[in-house]
This record gives sequence, structure tokens and C-alpha cells, in this order.
Amino acid sequence: MIDIILKDMWSPIAFILVLVLTALVAYMFYSLGNPAYKRTKHKGEPFISGNAPPKDVRLIHVGGDNVFWGFTHALRKYLDPLVKGHTGILNDYVYWMVITMALVLIYVYILI
Amino acid sequence: MSLDLVNASPAFILGIPLLFAFLTPLADRISKELRDAVFMIGLLLTVLFVAVMSYEVFTAEGWAYVFGAEETGEITRFSFFRIMFVADGFAALATITVAITALGAGIYSFAFMEGQTGMEKFYTLFLLTLAGVNGMILTADLFNLFVWFEVTSIASCGLVAFINYKGKSVEAALKYMFISVIGGLFLLLSIGLLYGEYGILNYFAIAESVNGGVVDRVALSIILVVLGMKASSVPMHMWAPDVYTESPGAVTPFIAITSLGSLFVLFRILFVVFRYSVSTAALGGLLIILGLLSMFVGVSMALKQSDVKRLIAYLSVSQIGYMLLAVGVGFSTLENGDYATFGALALEGGFFHMINDGVYKALLFLSAAAIVYSTGTRNLNKLGGLAHRMPYTTMFFLIGGLSIAGIPPLSGFSSKLLIYKSIYLYHPILAIIALVVSIITFALIGKVFYNAFLGPDLGLSKGEVPTTMLLAMGILTAVVVVFSLFPNYVVAEIVVPAVEALGVTA
Repeated sequence: MIDIILKDMWSPIAFILVLVLTALVAYMFYSLGNPAYKRTKHKGEPFISGNAPPKDVRLIHVGGDNVFWGFTHALRKYLDPLVKGHTGILNDYVYWMVITMALVLIYVYILI
Repeated sequence: MSLDLVNASPAFILGIPLLFAFLTPLADRISKELRDAVFMIGLLLTVLFVAVMSYEVFTAEGWAYVFGAEETGEITRFSFFRIMFVADGFAALATITVAITALGAGIYSFAFMEGQTGMEKFYTLFLLTLAGVNGMILTADLFNLFVWFEVTSIASCGLVAFINYKGKSVEAALKYMFISVIGGLFLLLSIGLLYGEYGILNYFAIAESVNGGVVDRVALSIILVVLGMKASSVPMHMWAPDVYTESPGAVTPFIAITSLGSLFVLFRILFVVFRYSVSTAALGGLLIILGLLSMFVGVSMALKQSDVKRLIAYLSVSQIGYMLLAVGVGFSTLENGDYATFGALALEGGFFHMINDGVYKALLFLSAAAIVYSTGTRNLNKLGGLAHRMPYTTMFFLIGGLSIAGIPPLSGFSSKLLIYKSIYLYHPILAIIALVVSIITFALIGKVFYNAFLGPDLGLSKGEVPTTMLLAMGILTAVVVVFSLFPNYVVAEIVVPAVEALGVTA
């Protein structure tokens, strides 16, 4: 069983062929669509609860720290101390190296 | 006696960049074009000799090139003046990784650094760093390792501080220099301990002498921490984001490759020098702990970044974790039957990931540098819509990003698949953690891609970057694509010889 798991071959070429095949099938479905459909002037504009999109393009693009805000906010109790630990102070960098060296010495002395 | 170029290729891999490093300032006195040409010739010749050495290793067998003696001979306490360089599968894998990255960064530098003064010094520092990293990788002598460690540190510090902007790059270089010097002194201490105990410096000779005593354990701990620090392993990683962020964009991947070079050296020393005198299961466990910490802390810190280079720097720390984890699993199985079952696969996955990481990380850093070059900002809160004016950079970033995230069919997926498979059999929870880190990496690459490249054109970009910068990114992309399409060939021809060179067979 383990041999089967480990020895099976991953073939990127086969993966790409399947990807191309899938794209062709998707295109086939796409071409079955209504040929009478016409693009409207609103196509491609963001939908903001039915309000008219702002004229300034910078207001349309939601980016930067706003992306994944909910995720990082939910993890703030884990992330904030981690960020605080990265002080940017050179002394701390050396402390961490010396502390790690001490811990590794203890580990190596006891277990190895 | 005629000079055997193939046999002497390890010496040329060091000698050529050293020679050309000091030729570029002389050429600069004649003309800038000649200076650029001399730099490029030096770089291409180094790559050529890496190819020559690697071809010989892969088609025939590895060899030891010894300075100070015609024959390798017996290494004794009286042969300290002999410095042995090892040309084997592992050295080939490592030097190929360095050569590809150096070629990309070197070509990229021409346009990126245009207009800067003191470029002859830049090229000197670049070639000295190249010689230093290759020296660290090829040498089998502990004191010589210290010398190349220092050469790499000093030269790369100069590169980091080369473009000074509000003192930030100087501050980063100072941190890098200070931490490197302290690390270097600790390394010298451990070398002194081993030399005092055994009177020899050659890896293979020390391997026959070490017995797992107190001195050996102290030396092992120091070497592991110093090279782990240089490889930006958590919790000694904090210098890396500062340095990667503030260094000139063209050389950031090259600075990152010095970290990867240190990891190669660490693995070589663990496998060659200490393997038979320590409990491999316990030492492998230590590598696994460092790997897990690096993966998780790296990717967690990346979540909070809004600077594109700093975000990639933390992802780079996270990727180092994958290599430590995989090699740790492989190392811990050396003494039991699991090596044949999945340990060898873990090592193959780890080493394959090292060469992949070197290339796609370089591509990502150069793409980020292209963004800064074109827009003048690294702030993701300000960026947006760059795909409208920078279509090629967008494509290069996407390929590098999907590869680091381990998305099929790209090369990062192939190496991560080997890692997932093997570490799952070691312990399923490790595979789950690795998968979660990959998913978060994918989300972060999506964040950068969406922020910087998608959305309406904000008019930030001056347009696509110059052709030589595109060419450099194109070369790295081509390598990623080749590694992606033929992973089985790369593993069989480049990675497996590297595993076998460390003296482990299934």
C-alpha cells in the first residue's frame, strides 16, 4: 500500500492535458449560450448594493490591509504578540540567537 | 602537465569570480561598457564551470579537488595546509541553484542599477558574494568554511547597503553585518573546539574521529544554530525580512541565496561529519521542530505585511521551514528501516524544494523589484491595476507565486508533493500543518496579486520594465517551467545524486 502511495507518478503533462480538455469542454458550454446577448455599458462595473460606482477608480479597488482583514482580525490574539516580538532591535536578534543556542545545547546534551 | 579543466572546475568556480571581481574596477577605468562586459563574462564563465562540474558529476562520478597537494592522499593532522573541495551530486545541486539565481540577478542588475554611481564596486561585491557562497558549498574544510562564510557576509553586507534610502538600507546592512559577525565568531569557536580536540579540519577526517563527546555536542549545537541563523530559520530569522526588504531589488534574490547556501552547508556537515556520532532520530527531531516553527511563524508574519518585499521575505522564511522539515524527517529515519520506506523520499523532496525555492523565490523578488522600479512604492495599500501596463511582470509574478504556493502543475507542487507524501508517513499531523501553511501561502500570493496587479489602472506605473530586466525574469520563469514540466527527470538526474552524495542509500 505504502509503495503504491509513494511510487505513483505525478505527471504535469497529463495534468495540463486534462486542464486543456476541461477548458475545451467549458468553451463548448460557453458557445451554447445565447448569441443574441449584447454587452451593456454597465458590464464589468462593480456592484455596490445597487449604488452607482464612484468616479474615482482608487475607491473601486479594495486592497492592501483590507484584504483578509476579517481573517487577521480574528487571529489578532495570536498575531499581535507575534508582531510585537519582531521589534527590529538588533540586540533582540542577538538575544534570540543566544537563547536558541542555549536551548539547542540542552537538547543536544540530553537527547543526542 | 596539462591543466585538466574538468578536474579543476571546482577551483575555477571560485577563481573566476574572484579574478573578475578585481578586474571590473580596472575595466571601469577604461569604459563603462567594458566594465559591464567583464562582469558578464565573469558571471557566464562561472556558470559554465558549474555546468561542466555538474555534467561530469552526473555522467561520471564525483571527485575531490585538493589545493596544496597533487594527490588527495591521507588527511592527517599534518596535512592541514591541504584544502579539499568536493565535487559531488550535492555540490552540483547547490552550485546549480546559486548559478541560476546569480545569472538572473546579474542580468537584472544592468538596467535596475543604471544611473547609480560606483557600479564597479557593486560588480566586485556581487562577484565576491558569488565566490563566497560557492566556496562555502564546495569546501570540505572547516576553517576554509569560516573564511568563505566571512567573505560572503562582508560582500553581501556591502550589496545590501549599496543604494542608501533614508538610511534604511544602511541600518539593514548594519544589522546583517553584526549578526553575521557574531555568528561567524561562534562558528570559529566551534571550529576551534573541534580542531583542539582532533587536530584536523577536514570534514571526512573529523567524521572518523568524532565520538559524540561533550566537545562534539557543543560544536554541533553551535554550528547548527549559526548556519540555521544564516539560513533564516525561526527564531533566528528576524534579520532576514529587514535585509531582504531594504536591499537593492536586483540583489535581493542573491542575498536570499546566501541563506540557502548556508542551509546546504548545514546539511552537508550534519550528514558527513556528525551522522555516525549522534542519535539521528533526535537530531532529525530538532530539525523538524525548527522547520515547523519557521513554516508557521514565517507565514503568520506574512499575513500582517503590507510591504510587498517584506511579505515575500516572510514567505521565504516559511519555505526554509519546508526544507528543514523534510530533511529532518529524512535524517531521523537514517538509523531505522523507515529510511527505505519514506526517509529517502523526504530527502529527495527537501532537496528538490531547495533548488525550486532558489529559483521561484528569485523570480518573486525580481518581480517585486520590477513593481518598485515602475511605481516607486512597495506599499500594497497604494498599489493596484499594474497588469494593465506591466503584462509580462504580471505573468512572471503569477508563475513564481503559484509555484511557491505549491499549485499544480508548477515545480513547487512537485517538491511539496514529495514532502507531503513522506512526512505523512512519519506523522500525519506534520503533513496537515504543511498543507495548512501552503494554503495560507496561496492566499497571501493571491492577496499580493490582487492588490498589485488586478483592479482598475491607478496610473501608478511608468510602464513595463526594461528588456534586460524582463529577460532576467524570463530566464528564471523558463527554469521554473522546465522544472514544472519534467519533475521526474530533475529528481532522477539532479536530486537523487545529491542524496546519494551524502552517503545515504535506501
